Amino acid sequence: MKTILIILFIAQFQNQAFAKNFVYCSEGSPSSFNAQLVTDGTSVNATAATLYNNLVGFEEGTTKIIPSLASSWEISKDKLVYTFNLRKGVKFHTTKYFAPTRDFNATDVVFSIDRMRVKTHPFHDVSGGKYEYFDGMEMGKTIKEVKILDPYKVQITLSNQDATFLANMAMSFMNILSEEYGSKLAGANKKSDIDNFPVGTGAFLFQSYAKDSVIKYSNNPQFWGKHGNIDKLIFAITPDANVRHQKLKTNECQFVNEPSPSDIAEMKKNPALKVMQDAGLNVGYLSMNVTKKPFDNLLVRQAINHALNKKSYIDAIYLGNAVVAKNPIPPTIWSYNDSVKDYEYSVEKAKALLAKAGLANGFETEMWTLPVSRPYNPNGKKMGELMQADLAKVGIKVKLLSFDWPTYLKKASQGEHQMLQMGWTGDNGDPDNFLNTLLGCGSIASGSNYSKWCDQKFNKDVVDAKTTTDVKKRTALYKDAQKIFKEQAPWATIAHSTVFKAMAKNVKGYKIDPLGHDNFTNVSVE
Amino acid sequence: MKIFFSELYFELKKNRGAMIGVVVIIISVFIALFAPLIAPHNPTEIFADALRLPPVFVQGGRAGYFFGTDDIGRDLLSRLIYGSRISLAVGFSVVIIALISGTFLGVIAGFYGGFTDRIIMRLTDLIMSLPSILFAIVIVAVLGPGITNAIIAVSVVAVPNFIRIIRAQVMVEKNRQYVFAAKLFGASSFRIMFIEILPNCMAPLIVQASLGFSDGILNVAALGFLGLGAQAPMSEWGTMLSDARSFIESSPWMVTLPGICILVTVLSFNLLGDGLRDALDPRLKKQN
Repeated sequence: MKTILIILFIAQFQNQAFAKNFVYCSEGSPSSFNAQLVTDGTSVNATAATLYNNLVGFEEGTTKIIPSLASSWEISKDKLVYTFNLRKGVKFHTTKYFAPTRDFNATDVVFSIDRMRVKTHPFHDVSGGKYEYFDGMEMGKTIKEVKILDPYKVQITLSNQDATFLANMAMSFMNILSEEYGSKLAGANKKSDIDNFPVGTGAFLFQSYAKDSVIKYSNNPQFWGKHGNIDKLIFAITPDANVRHQKLKTNECQFVNEPSPSDIAEMKKNPALKVMQDAGLNVGYLSMNVTKKPFDNLLVRQAINHALNKKSYIDAIYLGNAVVAKNPIPPTIWSYNDSVKDYEYSVEKAKALLAKAGLANGFETEMWTLPVSRPYNPNGKKMGELMQADLAKVGIKVKLLSFDWPTYLKKASQGEHQMLQMGWTGDNGDPDNFLNTLLGCGSIASGSNYSKWCDQKFNKDVVDAKTTTDVKKRTALYKDAQKIFKEQAPWATIAHSTVFKAMAKNVKGYKIDPLGHDNFTNVSVE
Repeated sequence: MKIFFSELYFELKKNRGAMIGVVVIIISVFIALFAPLIAPHNPTEIFADALRLPPVFVQGGRAGYFFGTDDIGRDLLSRLIYGSRISLAVGFSVVIIALISGTFLGVIAGFYGGFTDRIIMRLTDLIMSLPSILFAIVIVAVLGPGITNAIIAVSVVAVPNFIRIIRAQVMVEKNRQYVFAAKLFGASSFRIMFIEILPNCMAPLIVQASLGFSDGILNVAALGFLGLGAQAPMSEWGTMLSDARSFIESSPWMVTLPGICILVTVLSFNLLGDGLRDALDPRLKKQN
């Protein structure tokens, strides 16, 4: 029986080779097929980018907000009431397990947002009832009410002004689910299917999924927007970057996720391949836990900033594909403060500062090295060795440690570390998403402020900037915040890396998403 | 004893493979002992201007870095030389720990038999029923990564082999005439076990020790490869191998050289071990 199945599977695969199919070598299995439940890029690629749409979206290749399922919107004078006019004639996916009888309308919007927002919603507790992203962005607090004005008009009232609201609405977790599908599942008592057998409005519809092996999508013939010519979209799950490279070379896949920096040169030389690159919306940094000795001492933090030879990391770790970072936000984000001066590399200055701090003989400490390869830090262990050598020169003895990725994140949020390698890729292109999420006082409790650094002046700047919508005022506040950050030095900022995408030559229409997701809606194969 | 060794040497000399092994081992011991004098650079020194240089005899190589440099600009030759120190020291410590504890337990098990024997043997069965490297990983995971813990883990894994070999030998020897004679003279159990019987079990022990040496080196390299052995910036061959893995296509020498070092060292210990077995156990030799 098994052999027959395998033969059938292979036969099916070969048949597909004649259709316009597109194989994407992704790096892991998605944690869910509902983007509301996921935070990692791997899962977002398999959900929000392929299956779903939001009320508003990001223009492909930028962080500009454009209409999506809402064709237009009005914002009240007090910036508290947003009225969205919905697009008409949008059809949900017709799949093996669901056939919609009506078009997308306002009930779907309320259903989707209230699932995350309202604790008593019938679907709230399905699949665990944890909406990490929604809660992390404080959307539950921000949104006071979601109201249907007419079938194609939805009004969202906020409890306070929030300059990042529209950008948040465009983020992956605000995807729109089908209310009709939901009530059908509720009737059949199979509520959890909503997250496993997805129905959306996106350019692709779900076919099948085998964990750690393959996800199959097919083209949505009733898609409302512009799209490319892919008939079948296949995610071939391939965790090893070297294997992905080999598969791309043999045309087993047409697009690879996260090519290893060491393979880039090879890929560029290959005439059958195309490599695209763009400045990444990210920052890699070394966080110092200011609640632990001796990092509570500003002089020590500054000394470490002086002691690290960041330039050498760019060549060795990023293979030259990055720029040295001086601010916590990348230069492609508005309000980047270019007048901030970085601590220059100087062993003498570092030693002098340490002596001033009463630690002329140095000290012993621990550094945690990033256990996974990320664009903002492709090789944490090696960077750790470089930092170890640099810090040894000023008398600081560093022991390198690491844990598996979930443990690493958990222990780091609890502040168990002394020094920690970390990084961040932006979610919505807003400076708030870096400065407040990573360094605000409020983020100490939620865990993403790994330095546990709470500076009142800095915090006032970023909180004020969040609650005004005047871009000029916000820019000034963020610029000031970056200055304070540099003086107080809770991190040693390391690098903003370049993002690479590698694909077969015949892939057309792909644009690098500054937010790091892979969207194939407008991709064509020739 | 002296006759034993000179006879051994005489037998060994006839085996060419074993002699090659001995020569290579002597050379590597020499390199390891005099590493600071031989190595051109400090193995942890970083040359920021010399990243991923190929060996000097390949195009693009630079004088001063004979085998090239690794991905963060450390001299590969120096790292390999210092790496031999760690590998040999590890092999040696593993063998010593496993040999002493294994011999002790094996002699007791074989000599006393009965309940003691059953306990010890069931324990060895338990350890041997698990894949050795997996068991070592579990031990290191409990103790925490590091070279000392890796040595302990690999030693524990190696002990059962010694216990079994010694026990089998002791069970044969303890019924010999000289043991009865010693007993009649009123010798203590301790004396009979370790002074009368043990020297007569030396032959298989020596063979197992030399083979255990290579197993130890290999297992610690495997742990290093998995990131559980030597910690940065220490240069260990297994760790070097895993660090260089992602550069296998762009800079193949970085992964090839430590691999060759492991191969040559392990092979030479295996050759020596085989040679010793042939020399010490004529019965096996005839079969071949």
